[in-house]
Amino acid sequence: MKRWRAASLAAVAALALSACGGTGGGSGKSGDDKGELLVWVDNTRTPAAQEYKKAHPDLKIRVVTVPPEAGYVPTKVSLANRTKSGWPDVVFLTNPAEAATLASDKFGYAAPLDGLVPKSVRDGFAPGSLDTCTFSGKTYCLRNDIAPTVLWYDASLMKKYGYEVPKTWAEYEQVGLKAAKKHPGTIVGAINGKYGAGTYFGSSGCPTRDTLSLTKVHIDLTQRTCTRVADLLQPMAKAKAVTTVVPTDPAFAKLGKEDKILMLPGPAWFGDFMFGPAFKIPKGRIAAAPMPTWPGETTSFAGQVGGGAFLVSAHAGDRTKEAVDLVRWMTTDVALQAKQPTYPAFTAAAQKWGEAKAKDPYYASDPMPALTAAAGALRPGFGAVRFEADWQASFNDTFGKTADSGGNLRKALESWQDKLDAAAKTGEYTVG
Amino acid sequence: MRTLTPTRPPAVETVSPAAPRRVKRRGRTVATWLLVGPYALFLAAFGLAPAGYALWTSFVHDGSFSGGRNWTAVFDDYRLGEAAGNVTTYLLLWLPVLLLTVLSLAFTLHARPGRATGALQLVYYLPGAVTGSAAALLWLFMVSPDSSPFGPLLRLMDVKTATDALSGGSLVAVLAVMGVAVHAGGWIVVLYGALTALPKDVLEAAQVDGASAWRTMWHVKLPMVRTYVAFVLISSFASGSQVFVEPTVLSTGAPGQISPTWSVNQLAYVYATQDGDFGKAAALSLTMLAVGLLAAWIVITRTRMYATDTR
Repeated sequence: MKRWRAASLAAVAALALSACGGTGGGSGKSGDDKGELLVWVDNTRTPAAQEYKKAHPDLKIRVVTVPPEAGYVPTKVSLANRTKSGWPDVVFLTNPAEAATLASDKFGYAAPLDGLVPKSVRDGFAPGSLDTCTFSGKTYCLRNDIAPTVLWYDASLMKKYGYEVPKTWAEYEQVGLKAAKKHPGTIVGAINGKYGAGTYFGSSGCPTRDTLSLTKVHIDLTQRTCTRVADLLQPMAKAKAVTTVVPTDPAFAKLGKEDKILMLPGPAWFGDFMFGPAFKIPKGRIAAAPMPTWPGETTSFAGQVGGGAFLVSAHAGDRTKEAVDLVRWMTTDVALQAKQPTYPAFTAAAQKWGEAKAKDPYYASDPMPALTAAAGALRPGFGAVRFEADWQASFNDTFGKTADSGGNLRKALESWQDKLDAAAKTGEYTVG
Repeated sequence: MRTLTPTRPPAVETVSPAAPRRVKRRGRTVATWLLVGPYALFLAAFGLAPAGYALWTSFVHDGSFSGGRNWTAVFDDYRLGEAAGNVTTYLLLWLPVLLLTVLSLAFTLHARPGRATGALQLVYYLPGAVTGSAAALLWLFMVSPDSSPFGPLLRLMDVKTATDALSGGSLVAVLAVMGVAVHAGGWIVVLYGALTALPKDVLEAAQVDGASAWRTMWHVKLPMVRTYVAFVLISSFASGSQVFVEPTVLSTGAPGQISPTWSVNQLAYVYATQDGDFGKAAALSLTMLAVGLLAAWIVITRTRMYATDTR
């Protein structure tokens, strides 16, 4: 008995000690105390941040390279919120959907930039690209790069097989079905996770994640913009003209090596980072066309798969101005952005970026007209949501699984809707 | 077992000093405290205190009592049911396979000792030494039929791509294999150590009596290392029910393919880090602690693991 009492006493003492440590803010070595601008960027963005630091010797800037993993920044900010210190003043998001988490009341991390970045600057971004950052009319981030989808295709294979590049989704379906029949194993698209949902449902404008505010999201998969995607893909899934294999799977690279990728609607970055490096398709074969159009429309609306964004901390205090200046430079400096690997969100920078891309010998023809058109025609209603991971997982669990088993895709939309509703609710949204 | 279950050994250790007091001698008491003291200190600082703080966090929000709100919210979450189902399937698959692997390999090593024994122990231990993104890549390639040395076997099970392997029911099997490979090595070393410490005379007596290797294992060695097996079982159940590393590591290699709330522990982590809700995270963590303690209690009482003086 005595021992137990002693042990419990020790426990209480330790508890008291740890409580002191927690509230006392023992660390206290965040940027606050030193007036140091704390900048968190991923590996790719680090040289640019260092360049800014060098150009501003009068400022105290600390650049920290953080891993690009999904969830890393919210994790760290959540801990900083707990200890009430250690917030970075500027942060780069490799997954812009996290803006919805960081701007939420619970996190209260992202500062609205409307009063800090002039409207003229914000208007310089690709139209609709800042929608990801905007909730209830307030802009919480600036986009660094965007990932509009285009119709990538293998020009050599198309010529060899005698197909025309499709302009509408109906033509796309015809070519896909024909190719799958005549050249078994050939695919014209991938329907997995963000690649499937972002490319097809995103470009169709299906409200799978249409954010109305930080706490309200519109999800309605009974809309025609959703059912038409199911109808389009139904025969194609059956004929295996589209695959549920994720493009990052080594098995997808095998398709590339075996000349089985005829077309692949996908984000802009597929051009530089997937076809050559991953799928091993030799140079001079890949080309880009605008996304096919949906019935009754003449614009080639693009979906989105990825991109990055910069946020400024609401805790930056008197460093806010400096933080905003850095973010402005990182996202809008034409010379800097023209050098970056992926499609710049700032339109003037994208033009400059495109000058080099247009001459890239990897492509069969200049991909810039298609990319520029796509950047100018992002389909609205594709918001940043706190349930991004579940959005992907639930798509695979319902739509992907049904496509694999040859089931009814319209029915699959119903179960996807249920899962999205549940996911949105746990993300503290009301679904409307 | 190393990092995941800081709370399990405490349950084990706090029971042992409670053994019947035979001799009330001051010197003994001091010695006991000297031996137990450092552990008790760590138990209090890193086991009891955090658990107490978690209890506080789960009921108090911003200095005011929030009632059972966090607890009901956790049990209402649809993700908990899915995660619990996943973890149960995982345990049902992983625990028996792990135990069988550990027992059979440790007994085989002990039955046929040779020069290779040490090297083999190292080999069994190796998979656990690969961690982080290297492990993610390694396992991603292991489950990709085109690059995996087990490609034909995977194809036999209708796994044609890594996407297949990481979706639906096959994911849990992949995680179980991963879990066995990572955890078995350490336990083999422990159990082999226990076997080599067995009294030689008993084993020789068995040999003289004409017991076969199989009977020696089954009727002599196994009963004598029973408590070790129980310990493997408790620790593994605890680490298995709190499975976190395997699905997390695998999902860094295949982003977007595996739900970030696949296991219960991952869900607790997501509450704290992605939802910014430490109250719910604390409530769920304490629930997990209760499950682990209950399992430990059952195994300890059933195997009479610490009944030192009745042996």
